[in-house]
Amino acid sequence: MEFGPILRSMRRNKVRYGLIVAEVALTLAIVANCVNMIRDARRRMAIPSGFDDDNILWVMSRPFAPAFKEDGYLDNSLRQDLAVLRAIPGVKAVSNTRFLPWQGGGSSMETRVAGSKGEMLRNQVYNADESTLAALGARLIEGRNFTREETESEAQRLRQLFASSRPVGGDGTPAEKISQDVIVSKAFGALLFPDGKALGKRLEDSDGDQYRIVGVIGRFYNPYGWPIHEYVMFFPNYSRSFQGGAGFLVRVEPARKAAVLASLEKALVSANGGRNVQVKPVSEIKERFQSQSALLVKILALVIFLLLFITSLGIVGLTVFSVNERTRQIGTRRALGAQRGDILRYFLLENWIVTTLGLALGVLFAFGLNVALVARVNSPKMDPGLVAGGLLLLWIAGLAATFLPARRGARVAPAVATRNV
Amino acid sequence: MLFHNLRIAWKSLKRNWALSVLIVAGIALGIAVSTTFATVRHSFAKDPIPAKSDVLYYVRMDSWDPLKPYPGPDPTLPPTQITYRDMTGIMRSDIPRRQNALFKSALYVYPDQKTGRPFREMVRLCFSDFFPMFDVPFRYGSGWDKKADSGPEPVVVLSEEMNDRLFGGKNSVGRTVRIADREFRVVGVLAGWDPGIKFYDLTQNFIEKPENIYMPFSFVKPMQLRTFGNSDGWGTSGGLSGFDGFLQSETCWIQMWVELSDVAALARYRDFLAAYVLDQKKHGRFQRPVNNRVSTVREWMRDQKVVPPETTAMLIVSLLFLGVCAVNLVGLLLGKFLARASEVGVRRALGASRADIFLQHVVECELIGVVGGTIGLALSLGALAFLNQWLKTTATRGDLFRLDVPMVLMSVGLSLAAGLVAGAYPAWRICRLSPAVHLSLQ
Repeated sequence: MEFGPILRSMRRNKVRYGLIVAEVALTLAIVANCVNMIRDARRRMAIPSGFDDDNILWVMSRPFAPAFKEDGYLDNSLRQDLAVLRAIPGVKAVSNTRFLPWQGGGSSMETRVAGSKGEMLRNQVYNADESTLAALGARLIEGRNFTREETESEAQRLRQLFASSRPVGGDGTPAEKISQDVIVSKAFGALLFPDGKALGKRLEDSDGDQYRIVGVIGRFYNPYGWPIHEYVMFFPNYSRSFQGGAGFLVRVEPARKAAVLASLEKALVSANGGRNVQVKPVSEIKERFQSQSALLVKILALVIFLLLFITSLGIVGLTVFSVNERTRQIGTRRALGAQRGDILRYFLLENWIVTTLGLALGVLFAFGLNVALVARVNSPKMDPGLVAGGLLLLWIAGLAATFLPARRGARVAPAVATRNV
Repeated sequence: MLFHNLRIAWKSLKRNWALSVLIVAGIALGIAVSTTFATVRHSFAKDPIPAKSDVLYYVRMDSWDPLKPYPGPDPTLPPTQITYRDMTGIMRSDIPRRQNALFKSALYVYPDQKTGRPFREMVRLCFSDFFPMFDVPFRYGSGWDKKADSGPEPVVVLSEEMNDRLFGGKNSVGRTVRIADREFRVVGVLAGWDPGIKFYDLTQNFIEKPENIYMPFSFVKPMQLRTFGNSDGWGTSGGLSGFDGFLQSETCWIQMWVELSDVAALARYRDFLAAYVLDQKKHGRFQRPVNNRVSTVREWMRDQKVVPPETTAMLIVSLLFLGVCAVNLVGLLLGKFLARASEVGVRRALGASRADIFLQHVVECELIGVVGGTIGLALSLGALAFLNQWLKTTATRGDLFRLDVPMVLMSVGLSLAAGLVAGAYPAWRICRLSPAVHLSLQ
């Protein structure tokens, strides 16, 4: 092997080889960090909600007719809407709820284990009815679901309770406490009761009102502004008002999704024209929620592609230059008996040494850049496997970029050496 | 001399077409990528109201739960908004030159039967100071006067877009529009106001355009308006329910701004807030340590993390990308220049000084930088148009990313710097060559 001559030649042209070393090092650092960010974005996008996202439609009815200001009218309209929606062929379940998966927020409250002096824990909270779990495709793993009668009676009870102020006791909280039955997510149950036995237990809020856990669902994930994505409590109640409108989740048979989607607005508006109706598939809401990550992945992939292109170009340029410069030397070597393969090997080895030096430096750069990115933009920690993958990729790219110009060098005829001297 | 050098540079570029294209394309890519991401970040990070950023302040107070801090990303920060009670309390101060409490609500607009069905619109509830405070430009009319704040008088200001929709773009001042359950008189129409990032409400969706309707804050009570933005609550309801209970509660849902004419006023206002909080403590409220924030627009933007971390990461990556392009360029230029060493030898032998040779080659590099930079700038315009198009799918606007003068200057500066940095060494190398060596090879 020609390590000696190569190293001596490199020492005489420090800058030229140094440039490629620097370029390869920077490229490895950038590529490894870009892939790291891509993987992180992909990981975030792959988190499942626990629901049948693709087959749920979100329907929002926003009344403008003044008649909707009256409670009885709102209730009747709600019942009518449920009946209209359920009658549409292809509809599997319809729930009246304010919950909307993937909207990037929702509502929350604070609770703790009843009677404990523990810390109040924040959780998401949404009203639900007997069909909410069916509409979401969420699985009840323990306990029971709400019933229709329960939803109706709770709605009436809560409305009466909050129609006027409640008398307060000496501690400033309402004197008379109420209790509601709730369904929680498994993750929230486990947070409150680390032994895993949440069913039947009671929680309390800062008013001292109680919540009895009658059901536990499996996976629940709804991204929230605060880190409570997996903690939820559902309680039975209507969700309808004049200002807030009425929200529905409609689960459909996959094959009839498009047909149902097209007919929903018309069906509701023809049942009652005093409102506007908006319909959106949950898959679209999810797509919108994730669009920034999706775009980031595309941009980073493009950057990686361009960068590899530029770096390969640099290596090609260097080899062409180095071949041109040494045409006569190559001719001399060939005249002295070197085979084409020897010449080719010489250039490939030279490039391999330069690339390897660059990659060694690049490993340092990659981790260094990662430290900077972690500190500034909370990007994930570098996975050493990625750097190893980057090494392999750039080794191959380097050899591929050298091959063509080096082969041209190897074709130099021995006679060239004797010309022009 | 410069012109002569430019001519030589141009000829040299034309001589080896393929290589020149590669060289220019490399620098153009680097400039395109870095300009694009610098502009994206700049669109979030730039001062949205430079003329007044030294007098506008966002007010926060820590009225949160004594047991634990407000659950934002930074536990040392108070809640992002204030309560209704505190809003009425601190609005009594006469220290600010102007002051404003804001929130947004979603209300139905009932246009003429002919114009179409009722539609729901975001409405900004604010005080009369909103318009002069934030330098809001008017096409017709003006904001409402202070009297209308307390009445409250049923007056509205419409955006240009809303005026187009409701009144076909005509001067609608004096006409009425029905919003929710009452008639409002139009007093002003904005002149296409768009501050970029919606700095006056950074609590939610600040990429969106400003609201299309503005009405006096005091309608909150008679119309029982709930916020459509964030509202953060804690603790006991105190038995209160209904709308009055909401107004009396510790729920934080109002954004508060003050305009303070100088640092003395700022100091006095801080003292005033501290005194207010201490007084509230006597009534059992504000049990957390005093933590008032009177923040500049920039500080408020930083606390709300207006600049997405991804854009900063992309800016770092794109600058490194430009670095790779520059290093690449050094290699290519070195090859290009040394290939014509003999030619330089002739020039040197004919009396050209080293400085002449150096200058000639640096000019060539700068020409490459400028040509590449121009192409890069054009490419980044395309990339920004693509990103704006993408933005349209997630927000109500597709024009947030704009290449403004500072960004164009930065881009030109980067191109020249890249040309110089990449070209200096090859030019130095070529001018150091001894003429005799290369002449002897002819």
